[in-house]
Amino acid sequence: MKGIESVRGYQEEIIEAIPSTIIVVNRSLEVLYANRNYYAKSVAKRERDVLGERLSRVIPPMLIEKTGIIDKIREVFLTGVPFDGDQIRYPGGMFYFYKIYPLKEDEESISKVVIFMENITELTRLEEELRESYVKLENAFAELKENDAIKSEFISTASHELRTPITVINSYIEMFEGGMLGELSSVQREKIEIISSQIEHMIRLVEDMLDVSRLESKALKINKYPIWVDDIARKAIDDLSRLAGLKEQSMSLTIEGSHSDVEGDGRRIKQVFNNLLTNAIKYTPEKGKIEVIITDEPEDVCVSIIDNGIGVAKKDQHRIFEKFYTGSGSSLTRESGRMGLGLAIAKGIIEAHEGRIWVASEIGMGSTFIFTLPKKL
Amino acid sequence: MKLLIIDDAPEMLRAFRDILEAYGCEVYVAENGEEGLARYTEVMPDVVLMDILMPKLDGISATKKILEMDPSAKIIVISAVGKSGLDNECLLAGAKKFIIKPFKIKELLSSINSLVAE
Repeated sequence: MKGIESVRGYQEEIIEAIPSTIIVVNRSLEVLYANRNYYAKSVAKRERDVLGERLSRVIPPMLIEKTGIIDKIREVFLTGVPFDGDQIRYPGGMFYFYKIYPLKEDEESISKVVIFMENITELTRLEEELRESYVKLENAFAELKENDAIKSEFISTASHELRTPITVINSYIEMFEGGMLGELSSVQREKIEIISSQIEHMIRLVEDMLDVSRLESKALKINKYPIWVDDIARKAIDDLSRLAGLKEQSMSLTIEGSHSDVEGDGRRIKQVFNNLLTNAIKYTPEKGKIEVIITDEPEDVCVSIIDNGIGVAKKDQHRIFEKFYTGSGSSLTRESGRMGLGLAIAKGIIEAHEGRIWVASEIGMGSTFIFTLPKKL
Repeated sequence: MKLLIIDDAPEMLRAFRDILEAYGCEVYVAENGEEGLARYTEVMPDVVLMDILMPKLDGISATKKILEMDPSAKIIVISAVGKSGLDNECLLAGAKKFIIKPFKIKELLSSINSLVAE
């Protein structure tokens, strides 16, 4: 049984309930029927004022003139082809939409047409609002992109410009340290070491800034060749063991399976380990535990860096990979010595390798940073 | 050993001079590519240290011009610009090495020494 069968006998109720105006006219353009919506919307409230009247007398002259509806109805009678709708603007900002359908007695003759008419003012207004909002949004987006480009350009220029003075300072530090500018007293030597380590830190910040601008301009160069993730992890842990030692933290490496079928940029992957491990050391209290576990998945090599430190709040977990994000606290409480670039760079590098990176964490329960590198299949 | 350093930052020239002289090198300097070309023919150095971004004549063009005059010239490009592809561009122009600032003096010295030993 077709759905329509189940409503046979209810046509009248259904037509009367339709919230559009429906008018049926004959060939002489006399009104045979108008639905309840018509009476609700027009001045003529009674059927006897409407039925048998010419259409031009029961709908507003303005509408007749604007739509040229009389000609269109004649056309439908003549051709039997429905008039599939048009939108008209009415003075006072009203919008109407109307359609004309022939009601065929048989294949040959048409004795009636039905006119549907709908007030679409609200819809049109919403549409216009939407269009305006869209234009505004597009403009704002273009402006934002331009600002971002200016900012990236600035970061790139600034980090380049810093390189020459850093090189000059570094060179003289090396001369002092090498005793080329005379023997240093132990106090002098100690201070030079402080300057030296701070310059090293500054170099890392400049490198990070440059990496971020490279990531943004898609200019980060990834040289792919076979790499051994296990060895890179071992080397990274080794390099940072002194730093972890200062906080009496333990660092361990667990390797499950063999991971020889990964291609990537070893120097960049080392940088990812470096950034993640440095964070782990930083955000894990003294005597804490940092574990690196490398596992073999069907399509990836999966690296987990697990600490039992302060953890990352749920609301921060998706944002910590954004550049310059240093936690949801105010900028005054942020820790010094970091620009919020380490994770953004790590993410950029991993994604350039077609891998994924994410964090699982709970406040006070430590964090697990996980990244994957696709295997060469 | 005679070194010619071409860099438009006077502080950088001064630092290069201080250090390399301390290592017993004979140091000559020029503040742009054009001046560098003139100094090269005058001095005929063993190794040239060349900056890239300089007024008048940039480091890559200067490298090409020096090599036109003296195909055996040994040029190390030292740049603050870490733009990807730039190292290749310099090597294609005929430079022997590409070093990015900041660098360790020891690295620079070993690069110079290995070039001279060639």
